[in-house]
Amino acid sequence: MSDRLRGIAIVGGGTAGWMAAAILARRLGQHFGPIQLIESPEIGTIGVGEATIPPIRLFNEALGVDECDFLRQTQGTIKLGIEFRNWARIGHCYFHPFGVHGTGLDQVALHQEWLRLHQLGEPGSFEDFSLNSLAARRGRVLDFGAEPHALRAVYSYAFHFDASLYAQYLRGYAQARGVRRIERKVLRVELRAEDGFIRALHLDDGTQIEADLFIDCSGFRGLLIEQALNTGYEDWTHWLPCDRAVAVACDSAAALTPYTRSTAHRAGWQWRIPLQHRIGNGYVYCSRFISDDEAAATLLANLDGKAQAEPRLLRFTTGRRKKFWNRNCIALGLAGGFLEPLESTSIHLIQKGLTHLLNLFPGRSCARVVADEFNRLAIAEYERIRDFIILHYKATTREDAPLWQYCANMQIPEALDYKIRQFRNSGRIVRYGGELFAASNWLAVLMGQQLWPEHYDPLMDQRDVAAVQANLRGVLRTIRQAVDAAPRHEDYLASHCR
Amino acid sequence: MLRDRISSIAILGGGAAGWLAAATLARLLKPDFCAIRLIDCTPAAAEPISVTALPSFHRLNKLLGIGEQELMQRSGATFRLGVRFIDWSLTGADYFHSFGPLGSRFDALPFHHYWLRLQQSGLGGQLADYSIATVACRQGRFARPLADRQSVLSLYSYGYHFHAAALAACLRQYAQAHGVVGIERGVSEVRLHGEDGFVDEIRLDDGSSVRADLYIDCTGASGTAPASLPGQQVWRNPRIDWSHWLPCDRAIALPCAAGGEPPPYSQASAQSAGWRWQVPLQQCIDSGYAYASGFVSDDQATATLLSALPARALAEPRHLCLSPGRPTRFWERNWLTLSGSTLEPLESTGLHLVQTGITRLLALFPVRRFSPNDIEEYNRLTIMEHERIRDFLILHYKATTRDDSALWRYCAQMSIPDTLRAKIELFRSCGRVPLLEEEHFGEESWLSVLFGQELRPTDYDPLADVAGIDVVTAAFAQLRGAICNAVATLPMHARVLEQQCRTPVEGTL
Repeated sequence: MSDRLRGIAIVGGGTAGWMAAAILARRLGQHFGPIQLIESPEIGTIGVGEATIPPIRLFNEALGVDECDFLRQTQGTIKLGIEFRNWARIGHCYFHPFGVHGTGLDQVALHQEWLRLHQLGEPGSFEDFSLNSLAARRGRVLDFGAEPHALRAVYSYAFHFDASLYAQYLRGYAQARGVRRIERKVLRVELRAEDGFIRALHLDDGTQIEADLFIDCSGFRGLLIEQALNTGYEDWTHWLPCDRAVAVACDSAAALTPYTRSTAHRAGWQWRIPLQHRIGNGYVYCSRFISDDEAAATLLANLDGKAQAEPRLLRFTTGRRKKFWNRNCIALGLAGGFLEPLESTSIHLIQKGLTHLLNLFPGRSCARVVADEFNRLAIAEYERIRDFIILHYKATTREDAPLWQYCANMQIPEALDYKIRQFRNSGRIVRYGGELFAASNWLAVLMGQQLWPEHYDPLMDQRDVAAVQANLRGVLRTIRQAVDAAPRHEDYLASHCR
Repeated sequence: MLRDRISSIAILGGGAAGWLAAATLARLLKPDFCAIRLIDCTPAAAEPISVTALPSFHRLNKLLGIGEQELMQRSGATFRLGVRFIDWSLTGADYFHSFGPLGSRFDALPFHHYWLRLQQSGLGGQLADYSIATVACRQGRFARPLADRQSVLSLYSYGYHFHAAALAACLRQYAQAHGVVGIERGVSEVRLHGEDGFVDEIRLDDGSSVRADLYIDCTGASGTAPASLPGQQVWRNPRIDWSHWLPCDRAIALPCAAGGEPPPYSQASAQSAGWRWQVPLQQCIDSGYAYASGFVSDDQATATLLSALPARALAEPRHLCLSPGRPTRFWERNWLTLSGSTLEPLESTGLHLVQTGITRLLALFPVRRFSPNDIEEYNRLTIMEHERIRDFLILHYKATTRDDSALWRYCAQMSIPDTLRAKIELFRSCGRVPLLEEEHFGEESWLSVLFGQELRPTDYDPLADVAGIDVVTAAFAQLRGAICNAVATLPMHARVLEQQCRTPVEGTL
């Protein structure tokens, strides 16, 4: 067909750029012209440790990557969820596990049954009904091997890895499949006069790169999508006021935890991402409420081991590009938008962008309706994740610092407000189309942040209390037994991935 | 134990819809937990002759635990693999919307992109040849799908055609056995509470009254409520009219003698002012005409129906009321309207909407003070669900090149909802169908009708070019052969009914 693409250019060689290059090389081969990636030699990769969510495994699968090899090459570890410290209040701690609560039967009933018993004054934490939570707390990971197992359906995991090593790993993969890497700076972006499409990139060696489709992975600045195409940016800082981060790696001290930790501080929160060879740390904060120096000092005072370098400062504006796909340019990763890594969604959003691109693969004309559909899907995804992150800030009883006072009083998006209202009413979770986080994720955070429904599902009263108690005890027992039999995280990695 | 829980429900309207609601509630609510009464106020003459069920009915039937064989015997039912649409996009056109995918998943892309690619070289044949359900329909064959996902005989699903009164009787018996009390009376008045506008009681025509915590209106377009509800003024809950998109607002129907072998599908033939249906039942054929009263008189419509009956009429025609639209709020205070059945039966969504309405009510089961949150969420979801089905129905009317009569010229010109327009535009551009929230009909249904109505994308997915043409050609030939061979092994639909589901002659039909 005459409208087929004759070349794709990717600008930027970070995680986003190399993820794009790898999956496009895998799926397209040489059918749509050369795939070229331009990366500037001077720009380093952001992020000292990257945490992910379970769908990353689908991406690995799509690439045909072996999980153990991948973990070995990226100093990766297993992640079962996130521990939130000091979020609901100082001294409080909860776990947001992957997977679902219970043992795979009736999930709605499980949490409603639990709410009912809780109103009757029965002790016990909802968290205990998550296999992932219990395993994480005990430093274990499950290893079902290839065997079918009843608990497979409720267990889930993702990874922590070194983002620079990940980019390198994907670079090797992509280059082996024909992607051409050009180590140059883009000096100028040339647009076509007739329709404003990007025609070519002019590089600092005087050469130019032509393509029919351009993928902007150039980071915050959005070299193509913003600087060349003036797409515009929607600012969400009023909902998510953090605008800077300071990051540093440190030595590991204790046992390797199979989860990310997020600790709320006075002006933001600190991440802790355990890798095989070190721990990645960062403090995400709001510059209105703390100076850069104080933030760095707070970070350095809260490390497991010795800092391995000087802390690095990052600036960002939370929000999204008005269009992710504009003319013949698609923005991925930070070029598309920024959401703080509180729920480890950065890589996932890149992955989803690539999935949509492959599902709506364009011709040279980049039909407007196709781009519109891409934008519809991507915008919904960003906004639903945004709401999930806002929930953490909004649902707090902390009043010890201006940031938390601001958050407790701020207006929140209507869709989130509606969700919270519904939960507070009856413990039910509203679901929207295109939403990444499932009911179990929302439950974990809503209940973790100490929100409580006024009443449980009235139909629960039909059930015999003794039978419900017995059921819940059975669930706890099954989960405990599975964790008892599971290997320690360290041992699992040592035997599989080192 | 919650103190203010719902302990009584009154359902208005008998018929298949009302008794289906009653049976489902009775199955899931224990009698000592919640008492259920049904006021059977719908006159038999206002009920349709047949009701048809989508594959989603299996879930319900499994819940109720009525065996398929027993259910079909008692309700004079036949199996249903899909609908045959005749003369819709233009006179002479003929396609099936059957319950199953077009082709099978092949490589990473939906099948039809490869088919479109082959079409450019004149290869690939008819798209319908790759739907096993459609091929079985054409040959009048039927068997239940296999569970083995490796077999092409697993790639479809099926619903039912029921005799409406017989199904209602069967469900009534079930509901009554589970504690539902039936009251055969007309409704004289629905009384509201002065202060809060909640329904206080329903007055019956013998002077008695029924009180409940929650009222469920299953009368559809046939009558009693909701149009005549006094509360409409208090509630400000007017109907939103869709007749400018779905012009058929009336229907007539009559049973005809069953003759020949019943096909495993129903038939919808477009007419100059609407469409005629034929639904095969064991003892008769439900033959009807849904028409737009703005384009044809009742007498003309009756004449059209009578002139084209498939067999001898067994009764006088019944006049049915269709009411394309929805209430602004399906759930208002303590009054829930399950009115899906007022949409025209073109895609058989009536029973389905009752079923999903009840399921949603149970998922959002209220307490007696009726939190606005439960009601708001119920309405949010139900409105989306109805609007998606509305769009799907409109597509049948809109995507036409017929210009032989005023109705079709109107439909071809009419403006359509933005949600549907976006779907058609994306499909035309690249063969993709964007699915929205609460969409019952999935990609395969949309594709069947889009292709069936002769819409074609200007381009297929470029990624379909990645596979070698001979690989694609071979896979297509293989699939077509497999479907052809597999269907040939299936028994005739009529034989299956004969052997497994035959209603005893002394039955009530």
